Amino acid sequence: MSVEQQIRDYILENFLFTKDAAALNTDESFLAKGIIDSTGMLEVIYFVEDKFGIRVEDAEMIPENLDSVRNIVRFVERKTQK
Amino acid sequence: MTLVDLLRASVQRSPDSEAVIHRQCRMSYGALWRQVSALSRFLRDYDMRAGERVALLLENSPEYAAAYYGTLAAGGVVVALNTQAKARDLANWLRHSGATWLIADARHAELTALLAERGTCQVMIINGVEQAPTDVFDWNAMLSRTASSDSDCVPVAPSTLAQIIYTSGTTGAPKGVMLSHANLYANTQSILAYLDLTGDDSILNVLPFYYSYGNSVLHTHLATGGRLVLENSLAYPHAAMQAMVQERVTGFSGVPSTFALLLSRVKLGDYDLSSLRYLTQAGGAMSPAHIKRLKTELPHVRLFVMYGQTEATARIAYLPPEKLEEKLGAVGIAIPGVTMELHDEYGRSVARGGSGEIWVRGENIMPGYWNNPEATARVIDHGWLKTGDLARQDDEGYFFIHGRSSDMIKTGAHRVSPQEIEEAILELEGVAEAAVVGVADEILGEIIKAVIVLRAGQTLEARAVQAHCHRRLALYKVPKQVEFASELPKTASGKIKRFLLTGANS
Repeated sequence: MSVEQQIRDYILENFLFTKDAAALNTDESFLAKGIIDSTGMLEVIYFVEDKFGIRVEDAEMIPENLDSVRNIVRFVERKTQK
Repeated sequence: MTLVDLLRASVQRSPDSEAVIHRQCRMSYGALWRQVSALSRFLRDYDMRAGERVALLLENSPEYAAAYYGTLAAGGVVVALNTQAKARDLANWLRHSGATWLIADARHAELTALLAERGTCQVMIINGVEQAPTDVFDWNAMLSRTASSDSDCVPVAPSTLAQIIYTSGTTGAPKGVMLSHANLYANTQSILAYLDLTGDDSILNVLPFYYSYGNSVLHTHLATGGRLVLENSLAYPHAAMQAMVQERVTGFSGVPSTFALLLSRVKLGDYDLSSLRYLTQAGGAMSPAHIKRLKTELPHVRLFVMYGQTEATARIAYLPPEKLEEKLGAVGIAIPGVTMELHDEYGRSVARGGSGEIWVRGENIMPGYWNNPEATARVIDHGWLKTGDLARQDDEGYFFIHGRSSDMIKTGAHRVSPQEIEEAILELEGVAEAAVVGVADEILGEIIKAVIVLRAGQTLEARAVQAHCHRRLALYKVPKQVEFASELPKTASGKIKRFLLTGANS
């Protein structure tokens, strides 16, 4: 399963409580759309660290890396290529 | 004196000082006052009468401050709505409060659904687009077209209503805490006294203004001419920490989950927090381990552990920082102007050393819940507020809370009524009974768990329960855990024994 698919499935299931892929746009801002709150973001970070074997550093916890499916995919791919 | 008088004094002292900073906007006291005056003038031009309710559906922002104080200056009553709520709750509060105006952010996801149910309520939108509906007013247009002056403030009696804050309650019986001008003024003054805030102070604020804790942060800073730096989410803790460093703030306030989140994800010692003078913590007990870590990582910072309730405007007690280690686990002593006592189940005063329910009296105590005399009668007794919190008092008078006599769940910064969630779950076909409880959680304090009994022959997936709750309730009210049981444990009189359900796996 692709990185994007795994992230989409996780967000859909745990924050939107649905399997309907249409419920989540790849570029949608989690925070602006109220999809995830601050403690939810912590859960997302733990999921990403656990699933992809990476460590999200303090300075990496920024919207550019985490605030949409596309941003997380780019971030994970960048980290796992290192 | 009222909050508006305090703000006006700050404006007169230093009109060019920064009042509210949010993203690219740095609003001075003078600019804030111009918006306050303009809204006040506008509302009165549109025949808003004293005592009418003005609902706000706005994230923390300079405009929130202007809309709040502009409403008060016009003699109106602020009803600041929880921006995380869904249209169902928002419409319910709008109806229940009888709001005649709604000032809302055009980008709010629930606004379209809410507008369909607004009735005769007039609407003004902030951040609107050019093609806004013709029957709503635009904030910027209001500002540019309204000529205002300092005389646009309506004098009010201290006992008149200033604000309604909807707290946990059910759909049928919302609990809107009424706060008078005197309540807000008194609590603001008490907090200023023990925090020793001045116009040189500035705070990084992550607390929503629609809750009483954030509300008190807003008012105390505007009253002293201090500076509010707004960061509306802690989702990106590093960004919040950077803002603290760059703006050289002197204060930071949070609930236990705020500090748990920071301690779990950032190394506080890596940031230059030399300007930080104090931290405040309220909204439930913070673990002694986290208190000790904060003291270790930020040894130069004074940590104020505090206790309060919306029904007491915000603040009831505080623990002087110099007593923090000696009285670890205490919520402290009553703030100036407030009396705090323990009473037994018959209402009799409990002697020092004993245990009882915290009762509070003072200028900060609400007159009651809006249009809900039954709920008021349950908590207000001859001027005393019965908090529902159980505590003991040590020999030196410090209070230690050890339990609650209510079923209220505290999750993150939120107080949630189990009945409200049970009500939503019972709408699902096939559900015979439901009980909702709080389960201990390291970050949030408590997370929400639902235990459901299905009718014979019915099936239901946990995910479907969560999806249903998500459609109706704010995200933070959606149960994280859903379990099914053949029956609920009950007392002989049929009351659910909730404490038996609070295990992670009951």
